[in-house]
Amino acid sequence: MKRWVNKGARTMVRYLSLYRSFLTHNLKNEMIYRANFAIAVVMDIFFMGVNVVFFAILYANVETIGGWNFHQTMVLVGSVGVVREIAYLTFRQGFLELGEYIRTGRFDAMLTAPMAPNAHLAFRHVSLTESLGEGLMGLALVGYGFAHLPEAAWSSIPFYLVMLINSLLIYYAFCLMINSAVFWLVKSQELNTVVYYFIDTARYPREIYRGMGKAFFTFIVPSSLIATTPAAILTGRANGELVILSLGVAAVLLSLGLAVWNWSLQHYSSASS
Amino acid sequence: MRKYWTVFWVNWQNALQYRGPTFISLLGNVLRVVVLLYLWNAIYRGEGRLGDYSLSDLITYYLLQMVINSIVLSYSSWEIVDQIREGTFSNFLVRPVNYLHYSFMINFSWKLFEGAMVLAAVGVLSFFLLPYITLPSRPETIFFFILALILGGFLSFAFDFAIGLLAFWLVQANAFKYMLQYIIFFFAGALLPLDLFPPLFQTVAKVLPFRYLVFFPIQIFLEKEPHPVEGLLAAALWGIGLYFFLQFVLRRGIARYEAVGQ
Repeated sequence: MKRWVNKGARTMVRYLSLYRSFLTHNLKNEMIYRANFAIAVVMDIFFMGVNVVFFAILYANVETIGGWNFHQTMVLVGSVGVVREIAYLTFRQGFLELGEYIRTGRFDAMLTAPMAPNAHLAFRHVSLTESLGEGLMGLALVGYGFAHLPEAAWSSIPFYLVMLINSLLIYYAFCLMINSAVFWLVKSQELNTVVYYFIDTARYPREIYRGMGKAFFTFIVPSSLIATTPAAILTGRANGELVILSLGVAAVLLSLGLAVWNWSLQHYSSASS
Repeated sequence: MRKYWTVFWVNWQNALQYRGPTFISLLGNVLRVVVLLYLWNAIYRGEGRLGDYSLSDLITYYLLQMVINSIVLSYSSWEIVDQIREGTFSNFLVRPVNYLHYSFMINFSWKLFEGAMVLAAVGVLSFFLLPYITLPSRPETIFFFILALILGGFLSFAFDFAIGLLAFWLVQANAFKYMLQYIIFFFAGALLPLDLFPPLFQTVAKVLPFRYLVFFPIQIFLEKEPHPVEGLLAAALWGIGLYFFLQFVLRRGIARYEAVGQ
């Protein structure tokens, strides 16, 4: 038992230090292109702004949507931005480039490197700036909503962060599963359009779904959990059932995603050799 | 003219190769619309109401918006920006084709291909949603609607072509391109019907021609458009004006073109 724990801890430390070197390397790269960085931030803030306008127009006509008022929804919308930014800091960009790696045969190098291919793919191009505007604007929206909600409690923040990480795991598992198809399609752009819509639809409260749709957006395309669970906690709307459901979906989906990914890897036929 | 039909057929064959990817991105689009349908349903279940729209009006609006997304909205600027930036645009300078006409044919074959696929998808969706669909009551509505779609297709191509031409002047045009495309998307009524906008935005949207891409055809279909004929004429005038404008800008752009990378 102790040996396993020790081994697990060593692996963890190794991957953390690997992540750190990848991050430093990528940050240096990003700092070369300062103008790009400014443009990316402005663009992100613009797109988040459109989301806010969208909901502002809806809430000019209605009081609540699925029981969520405007300020609660702002926490929800903001949380999607935060999840997206952390995703770009940990794994998202790799999936966007996966099709290219496979087409050019550069994926070979990832299979032979002394680390898990999925971790290598994730860390290879971690990006602080790709979604930074969204992350910052997201934080601002969460803060804005939080400040306007009398029922929101400071003590819920640590729990909020834990559930954000849980959402990140669901997001990752979904990316893994969808992108496993790349080994057959050799093109990942459209697959990631699906992932884009998946995370993009997370900004609507889970309560809007009914019946089959609810099951679908919980278990198959679990976008209804990504932002709703953490935001529900911060806005004092959460119940134990929702939290347990989210944790369970994350655990099952992650195991399934890794299994599908590892199985799909065997269908990789190198392009260059 | 015959050479442009060749362009059309060659790209049609090319598009057919991308059945799988197109189908998958269509699935993503279906996902987006289905979520919105749940959103409207939740709002109307809670006794909410958006402007003059009944629930079936809104559901019809977004199903049509999905069709228009594939049939009308153009994404030509992707290729145009790449060709100008990477220098492959030089090939067109020595060929006996007009780049505007050439890009239009490429766009046209893509739109027909995507259109066929989206009609199948919307057909399946409509089957489930039949009780929630508002169908036109007058026969001429369908005729006006189809005319509006065709004009919308021309206009959308023209706007996106103009965005693509920006690459002659801006080396790194992509971020700017995304924002412009989204502003068009927004003021076309693709995100929300324009008459739900606050008064100030509504005035802006009325002046801008982007509403002919999405909002105007759908209003015709829902029979909420009071002046369909005037609107169609205005859209046609915009189309003719833009055609001459784009030919002019294209000539200016070619004069500036530096053939980077070639």
